[in-house]
Amino acid sequence: MKHWFLNLPGPMAVKVVIAVLVAVVAIVALFFFYDWVGTNLLDTGGTIG
Amino acid sequence: MDDEVTSPAQESATPSRGTLTRVVRAIGWTSIIAGLLILGFVVQQLFVTSWFAEQHQEALGEEALEHFATVEVGEEAYVPPSGDGSGNGSSGATGSTNNEGAPTTGGPWTIQVESTPDLGDAFALIRIPSIERLQEGWAVVEGVRVRDLKNGAGHMPHTPMPGQPGNTVISGHRTTYGAPFHELDTLSPGDLIEVETAIGVSTYEVQELKIVRPTELWVTEPRNGAWLTLTTCHPKFSSRRRLIVFAELVDGPNYKAIYP
Repeated sequence: MKHWFLNLPGPMAVKVVIAVLVAVVAIVALFFFYDWVGTNLLDTGGTIG
Repeated sequence: MDDEVTSPAQESATPSRGTLTRVVRAIGWTSIIAGLLILGFVVQQLFVTSWFAEQHQEALGEEALEHFATVEVGEEAYVPPSGDGSGNGSSGATGSTNNEGAPTTGGPWTIQVESTPDLGDAFALIRIPSIERLQEGWAVVEGVRVRDLKNGAGHMPHTPMPGQPGNTVISGHRTTYGAPFHELDTLSPGDLIEVETAIGVSTYEVQELKIVRPTELWVTEPRNGAWLTLTTCHPKFSSRRRLIVFAELVDGPNYKAIYP
């Protein structure tokens, strides 16, 4: 993780911005993945057919 | 002194101890990350989805009340089926009724009807007095698409509107998105279910609960009289089966016309 951060391009401020953006995108993607798993496996809403 | 001099055996042990440390550390981090991902999933499913659903419910509740006030309610002739099991009865010539829709002659009789709302629109409130979470009323939207059911309970299209003759089917989440039907298994025959629509409040009485496979479409088929069928996932935290509640109309604007 530390190596990944230090290998990001640009000065420290740019590295931080990139890291934050990547984290936000990852969290949103994770949210959609959780949602997909939940609505397909855990609780589909009880529909018939 | 020579205390710090290591033997060849000790030298060979040092890297292997380092490898072991790295492996243990990797297992530890993997476990922590996996634990956090699972915890995130549980929190997202149980709390975040319910928070979103409750936000939507406030708006949908208001939308339903606005729908009651603005939608046009009409009258339609209704001939009860002759008991051939074909289901929904039929519309035809207008019979003689009093102002409550009750038959005053031999029929056919009129029932109050409303137009079908657009998909996703809130048009009804469902209340189950014996279930605390549904005592205040939960908004019902038109449609059972994934996005419809994230907002509220969903009325299956092509089944009658609540309060109408036939078999009205409403589906809802059991454990996520506000879990409106979380405690549906606690219902027993005789419990009442109220559905408020633009025509008024229709009261159904629970007759039977069943566990079926998700593909058992017969539960949605038309029925004689007026029925409400509630469907949700079963068991909790699984979509393997469906819990079905069959309830029959016992009171409401169209009751006397449907059960003359």
